[in-house]
Amino acid sequence: MTFLATRRAVTAGLALSPLFAPSVLRAQGEPIRLGTLMPLTGAGGPYGPSMRKAVEGVVESVNSAGGIGGRRIQLYGEDSQTNPDAAVRAARKLIDVDRVSAIMGTWASAVTTAVAPLAWESRTMLFTVSGADSITQLPHRGYIIRTQPNSTLQITKLSEFLGQQGAKRIFILAAQTPFALSNKEILEREMPKYGGQVLGQTIYDREKTVFRSEVDQALRARPDYIFLNGYTPDVTILLRELFRAGWTGGKVAPAYAINQRLLDSLPADVTNGAVTWAPSPDIESPAFKRLQALLGTNDPDPYSCQTNDHAALAALAIAKAGAATGDAIRENVRKIAQGAGERVTEVTEGLRLLAAGREINYAGASGACDFTDNGDILTCPFRYEQAEGAKLKTIRIS
Amino acid sequence: MENYLVAMAVFAGLYGLMALGLNVIWGMTGMINLGLVGFMAVGAYTSALLTVRHAHWPMWAGVIAATIVSGIAGAVVARITARLKGDYLAIVTLGFSEVVRLVASNEIRFTNGTDGISAIPGPFRGEVAPATFNLIYLGIVAAALLVVYLLCQRLRHSPYGRVLRAIRDDDQVTSVAGKPVLRFKTEAFAIGAAITGFAGALYGHYNAYIAPEGFVPLITIYIVLSLTAGGTGTNAGAVVGAALVVAFMEGTRFVVAEIPGLAAVQVAAVREFMIAALLILVLRYRPQGLFPERHARHATPDTTP
Repeated sequence: MTFLATRRAVTAGLALSPLFAPSVLRAQGEPIRLGTLMPLTGAGGPYGPSMRKAVEGVVESVNSAGGIGGRRIQLYGEDSQTNPDAAVRAARKLIDVDRVSAIMGTWASAVTTAVAPLAWESRTMLFTVSGADSITQLPHRGYIIRTQPNSTLQITKLSEFLGQQGAKRIFILAAQTPFALSNKEILEREMPKYGGQVLGQTIYDREKTVFRSEVDQALRARPDYIFLNGYTPDVTILLRELFRAGWTGGKVAPAYAINQRLLDSLPADVTNGAVTWAPSPDIESPAFKRLQALLGTNDPDPYSCQTNDHAALAALAIAKAGAATGDAIRENVRKIAQGAGERVTEVTEGLRLLAAGREINYAGASGACDFTDNGDILTCPFRYEQAEGAKLKTIRIS
Repeated sequence: MENYLVAMAVFAGLYGLMALGLNVIWGMTGMINLGLVGFMAVGAYTSALLTVRHAHWPMWAGVIAATIVSGIAGAVVARITARLKGDYLAIVTLGFSEVVRLVASNEIRFTNGTDGISAIPGPFRGEVAPATFNLIYLGIVAAALLVVYLLCQRLRHSPYGRVLRAIRDDDQVTSVAGKPVLRFKTEAFAIGAAITGFAGALYGHYNAYIAPEGFVPLITIYIVLSLTAGGTGTNAGAVVGAALVVAFMEGTRFVVAEIPGLAAVQVAAVREFMIAALLILVLRYRPQGLFPERHARHATPDTTP
């Protein structure tokens, strides 16, 4: 009998404990259910935990400010294991058992594409950080919002930058990748807007150790800028061979190719002047500074900045709609993320303004969070850097 | 909740089909096949390419074609690896599945590369509510599982199945007894691969999306675990083992959610640990699996003078 009495006491204690919590924590009504599906194990494992923390931060601040219309947010989470098969089962659980109205933070493109049909069939909103162009082209009827710039936006931004640098004749040396051809087509479409043109592209095998003939082909076209669309190992060799060939014109590559490791492995003479570009969080934003404090790092990764915004967007859309369904989020997310409303970078401030009947325009750590009709972001900040004395110097962020 | 349970039953059924396929190859004939996911991919891609990407065949035709194509792929692999056994065969079949995945990633015009193939049709998908679609599909998978199970039982208890088990236990003796071992091995491999490809095609039509990243060796491991836990060599073991593995993988979600004070990443790690621990426990207390093969033993004739 002692055991039974103890158990009863424990149960009673658990049941009473919310009564002793501060009153703001006791938001009334059925909780609002949101889900995360992040890569906590597998290839995306290094990113998932901080992406999740960025979401938890938003949920905590909403709940401690009294919830949304008096309703707390209940956060559910599953591990996508960076694997479409496991992710589909996890998404089933989030949708059918936890009945979440939004799934946030899918990372790998294959995971997002596999989960997407479940989301739109069950009218659940899907917020993703995957970059593949094909995702927003799915027949998702508005149930997908993507905060990661797709490759079209990335190349469009590169063209804009090259145009401003006065580049007229561009040659591309590209590694054999799924995006090599589509990147060239976008650059060919964009450059004429700035009076430039793409002279040609040579696609090479990344595993090769000598690129002499590729470099010769590039130089024969007499370009003024060479776009090295590859990865660190092959771009290292290409830069060295361009230097040997006496190349003094412009060279540009993605920031993941020309990184500090590359700069350390080559003499500064070889890398000086090389330009990189990459999507960047909005580092001037107060939301970014709050996220720095929340995650305890000066340099939160772009995915965490994006999931931070996913949670804020979902919360604000629910507040705007006054209903916590996937449909409510889908129909209201653009009303709180863009337009003529008051600019807001913090979720509880947005909730307060919405409660007062005002219009808002949310912009978060990842950028302006303005979306096209098919769910892509309209624009986001990009960071342009230039190698100088084996260090990258920021030219500008815009 | 019901909808979720139905969906997991569909997954268990599909894994069960693949475990039956593996049982023909490994359990009955003794050929270790770690390339199972490769045949699943061949099946899934064949049906998807024929029903949505390159043609618009009806689903049943796509599934039949998938079964035939993966059976042929199995026969070819069996012929190529005819001289290999044990670990060597395991490595080569593992290599086969990686080759399939890499071809699917790089033959962009043919397979749409790493973007994968989406909008694969499913029976009445979009015409009925998602929950009804789930139920219809569960019916299809359950019927398929029953038919394949009965066929495998027939195979196992026939003289043909006896030859397969003889090859598993000692292929030289079988060969001395006048059985064409290579032919039997090729056929068994083809049958197992065809069943796996059939399951792969059903998997594609259920999920509506396939991509090379979905066909990683992780799935092979799920199936090998299913068969090991259920009982290598018996068909009932294959089916029950698959249900058990899915139950472990899914049930642990609810158990870890009850542990207080864990961060999300710790929950994920504890869950994987629990799945592993449960499987180890099963094999610790039932080393032969839940449904071990029973051998009909004849009394040894008394040879003492």
